[in-house]
Amino acid sequence: MLALQNLTLPNRRFTLGLGIAQAALNYFKYWIIAAVAIAFLGPLSLSQYNEIDLSTWFYTANIAKWFTAFVAGGFLYVLVPNMIATGMTRRELSVAMGVFGLLWSAALGVLVFAGLLIERVYYGAMDWTQGIQADNATTAIGTWGETAAFAAVYPLLYLAYFAAGALIGAAAYRWQSSGWLLLFPVLVVVFSLDNAVYDTEPFGPSWAGVLGRFIDDWGRGLVLTGIAVVAAGLAIASRRILIDIPLHSKKA
Amino acid sequence: MSFSATLRDVTLKYRDGDALADVNLDLEAGKIYGLLGRNGAGKTSLLSLLAAFRKPTSGEILVGGEPVWENAGIVSRVALIREGGDFDDSDTVKAAIETGQIRPGFDTAYALKLAERFELPLKKKVRELSRGKRSILAAICGLAARAELTMFDEVHLGMDAPTRDAFYKELLAEYMDRPHTVILSTHLIDEVANYLEEVIIVDKGRILRHEELEVLQDLGATLTGPAAAVDDVAAGLEVLAEQQLGGTKSVTVAAFGPGTRERAAAAGLEIGPVGLQDLFIHLTEPSRNGA
Repeated sequence: MLALQNLTLPNRRFTLGLGIAQAALNYFKYWIIAAVAIAFLGPLSLSQYNEIDLSTWFYTANIAKWFTAFVAGGFLYVLVPNMIATGMTRRELSVAMGVFGLLWSAALGVLVFAGLLIERVYYGAMDWTQGIQADNATTAIGTWGETAAFAAVYPLLYLAYFAAGALIGAAAYRWQSSGWLLLFPVLVVVFSLDNAVYDTEPFGPSWAGVLGRFIDDWGRGLVLTGIAVVAAGLAIASRRILIDIPLHSKKA
Repeated sequence: MSFSATLRDVTLKYRDGDALADVNLDLEAGKIYGLLGRNGAGKTSLLSLLAAFRKPTSGEILVGGEPVWENAGIVSRVALIREGGDFDDSDTVKAAIETGQIRPGFDTAYALKLAERFELPLKKKVRELSRGKRSILAAICGLAARAELTMFDEVHLGMDAPTRDAFYKELLAEYMDRPHTVILSTHLIDEVANYLEEVIIVDKGRILRHEELEVLQDLGATLTGPAAAVDDVAAGLEVLAEQQLGGTKSVTVAAFGPGTRERAAAAGLEIGPVGLQDLFIHLTEPSRNGA
């Protein structure tokens, strides 16, 4: 982690958060490049056989949500013993994870935002429809403004998924045999809110969207507020689990 | 500056019982301590509390005169190195070393110099290292932490004898160069005895003894001489260990008082210090402690 050089004690939690974000993006750079390539080249090859009426970037953006949760949980699970044994406090680690979450979500959010707008130009040039599956029908995303509004939600969604992953990662480390069970309630809340944003078909296990029937009528503004509140709640819960987490004994 | 450490009425409970119970301990700054105890005695729990790896169930832990829990200024200068280290196994050895830079005092150049000396492959992943090499990596990170309180918990496991010897010498050199507080937890007692200034013996979650090494060693003696004379002097004493080669016998006895010393001297026996390991075995004998 390049960012660790010349760090000082008062700012090391921020420096570490930046360093982890750099390291994570660097570690997954080929995955990200591959995803971008597939998002642009996939429809080109599919167009040989089918009419293109769905946004590939919509799918890429959705896969990135699950990926974000996995990265947050996996990194935290590894970083807890690693960082505490290297002389960090749990509070510092929770701040570092917060910085990491913000930077990661922003980076992926910007990428997806740009991807969806460039895709609009690309699909327009190829005379394809940039649509999404919503309520059993394909709906075009819409005008430039509607596409930008559609894409602008992703940084917030990534933040919510990051917080969800971090919570599950912290719980899985703390309660090694049962912590992962938090996955189920967390998934149901986040996934149901996520699906309500666009009234789309569930992009993942359909049972996880069980709360959708209560949320679908909320309206977009309220749903987005709900996602922000849930993201904050999950981040607070992660910090609470982390704040007095014991390091496990080493197994011989 | 090196750190003192204090535990006041410290108890640590796990789900299945007490790991430590009402422990009181004062460790002066700038000394090398040996932490001895049988398996499950509470050594690792004690070290984990000093490094804030765990929070005590009750009691107070001060390091450098300040509470250690969630104290960045203190924990950044405390290093507990556990067997095999706490690394991200997917990191390269070089990256694992560089992670130590989170400590403001970490000496990366020194760590890399040691890595070269101990022939650690910097580009290899940590998970690909042998147990011995992994132990060396952990020990290097501990030394290079340049901490004010450095604790090694069975870090030598997996190291071969020459490597252990080189590690102890490097530890001593680093200590001489930069006095700080060191705690060595080990089962290879006689191997480290020469380096220790004070010894703490933990047994069943309590501090059984905390003495200077010489004081402990004066609790017994090794008598060497003609077998008959040795048997005569040792009669009635608690024998911790004995060896015989031809007509010459050597016995290690506990509770070696002035009267016995005079009798042994009069019998022409050679009187030597008791081996720390023999004494440890004797002091932690289950029958002796009501187990």
